[in-house]
Amino acid sequence: MNPAETTANAARRVAVLAVTAATLAACGGGSSGGASDATTMPLATATPVSVRDAVRLADQASFGPTEALIAAIRAQGPAAWIGAQMGLSVSRYSSGRGGEVHQYAVKDGDFCADKGSNCWRDWSSTEPLVWDFYRNAVSQPDQLRQRVAFALQQIVVVNNLEVSGTYGFRLYYNNLLDNAFGNYRQVLKKVALSPVMGDFLNNANNDKAAPNENFARELLQLFSIGTCELDSDGRLKGGACSATYGNDTVRAYAYALTGWTYPAGGATAWGCWPAGMNCRYYGGDMVPVAAYHDSAERKLLAGVTVAAGSAAPAALEAVLDSLMAHPNIAPFIGKQLIQHLVSSNPSPAYVARVAAAFGSGRFGSIGSGQKGDLAATVAAVLLDAEARGDTVARSGGKLREPAQMFAGVLRALNGRTDGDALSWWWGDSLREHVFRPPSVFNFYPPDYPVPGTSLVGPAFGIHGANAALERLNYLTYLLDRGGSSASADVPGAVGTVVDLSAFTADAADAAALVDRLSVLALGQALPAAPRDQVIQAVAWWTDKTDPTYWQTQRVKAAAYLVFGAPNYQVQR
Amino acid sequence: MDAPLPASPARRRWLLNTGLGGAATLAGALGAGSLANLLNARPAFAADYKALVCVFLYGGNDGMNMIVPSDTSRYDAYAGVRRGLAIPQASLVPLAGIPYGLHPALGGLAGAWADGALAPVFNVGPLAQPLTKAQYRTAAPNSALLPGNLFSHSDQQILWETGSPDPLTRTGWGGRAAETLATLNPVISVAGTARYGSGLLQAPLVLPGPGATFGAYGLQPGDTWAPQLARKAAIDALYAQAQDADLADAYTGAQRNAFAMSARLAALVKTQPGDSGALPAIDAAFAPITAAGKITTGLGRQLYQLAKLIAGNATVQGSRQIFFASMGGFDTHGNQIVTGSPLEGDHARLLKELGDALGAFHAAMKALGLGGAVTAFTQSDFGRTFAPNNSAGTDHAWGNQHLVLGGAVKGGTSYGRYPELVLGGGDDVGQDSWELQGRWIPSTSVDQYAATLLGWFGASDSQLDTVLPNLRNFGAARRLGFL
Repeated sequence: MNPAETTANAARRVAVLAVTAATLAACGGGSSGGASDATTMPLATATPVSVRDAVRLADQASFGPTEALIAAIRAQGPAAWIGAQMGLSVSRYSSGRGGEVHQYAVKDGDFCADKGSNCWRDWSSTEPLVWDFYRNAVSQPDQLRQRVAFALQQIVVVNNLEVSGTYGFRLYYNNLLDNAFGNYRQVLKKVALSPVMGDFLNNANNDKAAPNENFARELLQLFSIGTCELDSDGRLKGGACSATYGNDTVRAYAYALTGWTYPAGGATAWGCWPAGMNCRYYGGDMVPVAAYHDSAERKLLAGVTVAAGSAAPAALEAVLDSLMAHPNIAPFIGKQLIQHLVSSNPSPAYVARVAAAFGSGRFGSIGSGQKGDLAATVAAVLLDAEARGDTVARSGGKLREPAQMFAGVLRALNGRTDGDALSWWWGDSLREHVFRPPSVFNFYPPDYPVPGTSLVGPAFGIHGANAALERLNYLTYLLDRGGSSASADVPGAVGTVVDLSAFTADAADAAALVDRLSVLALGQALPAAPRDQVIQAVAWWTDKTDPTYWQTQRVKAAAYLVFGAPNYQVQR
Repeated sequence: MDAPLPASPARRRWLLNTGLGGAATLAGALGAGSLANLLNARPAFAADYKALVCVFLYGGNDGMNMIVPSDTSRYDAYAGVRRGLAIPQASLVPLAGIPYGLHPALGGLAGAWADGALAPVFNVGPLAQPLTKAQYRTAAPNSALLPGNLFSHSDQQILWETGSPDPLTRTGWGGRAAETLATLNPVISVAGTARYGSGLLQAPLVLPGPGATFGAYGLQPGDTWAPQLARKAAIDALYAQAQDADLADAYTGAQRNAFAMSARLAALVKTQPGDSGALPAIDAAFAPITAAGKITTGLGRQLYQLAKLIAGNATVQGSRQIFFASMGGFDTHGNQIVTGSPLEGDHARLLKELGDALGAFHAAMKALGLGGAVTAFTQSDFGRTFAPNNSAGTDHAWGNQHLVLGGAVKGGTSYGRYPELVLGGGDDVGQDSWELQGRWIPSTSVDQYAATLLGWFGASDSQLDTVLPNLRNFGAARRLGFL
């Protein structure tokens, strides 16, 4: 954390709150009227946003800075820019085929027989959604929503390893995009009713006779409250882990969540089983089946009880009420949002401020006032003093996760992608193949300890000697080997390429070129000693060593070294 | 043999708090130079090579179907509870000399049993201390008598990997052993960055699979073209620069280390079956799971890579090495079997991959004359409920059966105490009618299991106490006898 809040930072924080109130009232994002922050701050005039702070915000709230984005953030200020982002229309996923893959009823037939060689890819896999993910990440304007949805999908995790059906995943992830600035209770409700989640964690067709505990357990452990009781600042209550629940509670939730089946619409050659349940089908919310729902009284957490005789929908509402009322949910979810967007090791005070926004549903004049408001929570994450300003504590920052790095370099260098090279190739190589985390525990845990430090670094959980070198190899691929050309196999393909033409104009002055790229990537110049070496490596290229391409070669060398630098790879 | 690296908690705290310009990372505080260089300064052991290979089965392997009692009364008790999930008695792979049989998908291990190189260890799991059912039932919430967060995947994986009852433990028992015993290399993992290999200061060395290029394009020792040399100099300068954030210092330390490891190991890592650098003995052993020149399963590829690294000791260096491999997918809440066909389904498929890969690995070690030098062992989040659920599967439990494999193993017999097959009985955590699912309280702890392996590996008693601080709670029973 910033050890002592400087006057400049305090003034800036006040300023953004003032701008927030004015801007968001205009956008309709919250009630009209002035700032009503509980810790009433006097209003002050806005101070201009530094390049460094603008780049920090771009790294936190988008998939990475571009020169245009830096200028926009500096012109509007962080709060106004965030408010504008929250008001943009949603870039939803639209690729991939439909529900027919779960409606095939031909005995001894093969659904894929007449569908060509991309049948599995287009009807069953999440590959078409990867195209949408990266197209959105690199080129679409609703950057903050795409980042928040990416964070949410790493909390309420499903994967394409164990369940398949492109149309189902498309609905699932579009729900996260739609609710990214809505309420977390609604996120949990759509997740609990999702037939994809129901299939993935065995709550679809879960039967009161011998309930499967898988979904109930992970709903508590991963999606809402976690396993240890927390103070509002995210620290363990009492300094050690007190279990939030025992096995008997998991079973109570499992019983309460029984009695749901797939929505109608699916078909197989052998009918639908078990009797009374629908066939596997992902084309909508799950539907209740009274005969399979346990209707005994069940004691849940936070003093909530499912009344005897309740039907499945009422029991689900009680489940959601109990989780939203639990004191853990605000710090548990709030801290993870900070970790995904800003910093792996937020100070307890920072977590407490974000948890307060989640809990009250308001940050300044952003938010509905209902607990779980994600717009308020995200604004609290991004506008906090620990996220803003030019300097970061030694415990600050996060290792740029691979998907963020892929998109970030492309954005900065005016590139474009159809995502095709970033899934089975680079995604697998760096162990972040989007939509295919190895389990419900995501690609990495939120508390991965970094050896040699006292800190956690979630993305270090998929890092290692091989990944260390592959990060550089991604840059070689993109810059020296021209990336990937458009594949005839991918609809609307554009390949994965950068466009260095905007930078070759500065190539004649190697130092200026290096500094321009450093300011773009880092918001500041490189430290002096490596900066000299980088300039030397760039300046090797001259009209003597490569008469035709020396300017482009200079840009490639400079970009490789700036984006390969630890200063970029570890976002601060 | 004492190591210069921290062995006492006090010294560890000193190192973490040492005020080297506020840096909390030892590597960063030392500035330029890789962690590998630091560690190379330590004395190596004598020339006799020993390797431990951890095979972690993520998700919670159903040990109750992996190895099944074959005497009539216990088999009948087993089948009576397991019902549709029960493996038919006639299908079990017999283990001559003991009243148990293996799941038929583990036929690949029959040869190891015949060699006396395989042993099951029964009802192993995380414990804080020896625990009776009465103590479990009457323990207060969060009691220090119990390991933390039982039945949770991530926490139980951590307890197995760290050899501790505390899910907040940051280091793995493999990583601590590597540092305490001053092995030349850290734990080498071919299965990602699991906590098992994390030490206080060192991350595990994570290597890719056979055929992969382990190196930075254009920056290898052989890349001597001037602009590439200039890039390498710039990269080195970037990595030598002290950073303004601890995570960044950790990152640069890892980068420097990666370059050093790549220079040493790239060629060895890349070799695939049939390549000019491949060893015929290893390729022949893995032939049953090789097709068109490629190993056909994930664990097979990992163990092939380990076999190469073991055989390539002159390149890898060091006379004591801990390795980590893994498989996933064992969380068989549903579809553990195919209804009506208990020999099919997800668990059978997983066990076949496990048995065939371990069988090939054992054959390779034997062929290289290293059978007695290498011991492989399984670990897993937890065992699964003895009673099935309604989805043709099983749920999370606790104590589990495991396998140890290697020429030094005193095979042909079993170790540990097999649980009493009674729902709600003396070994089952459950008592009330709604919780009678057969979750066994372990009768052997992870500490004892690990201590037996590490004792063979070369750890002294005091080193065992350093690596496994809770081991002393198990008194004199710190070596289980299978090595």
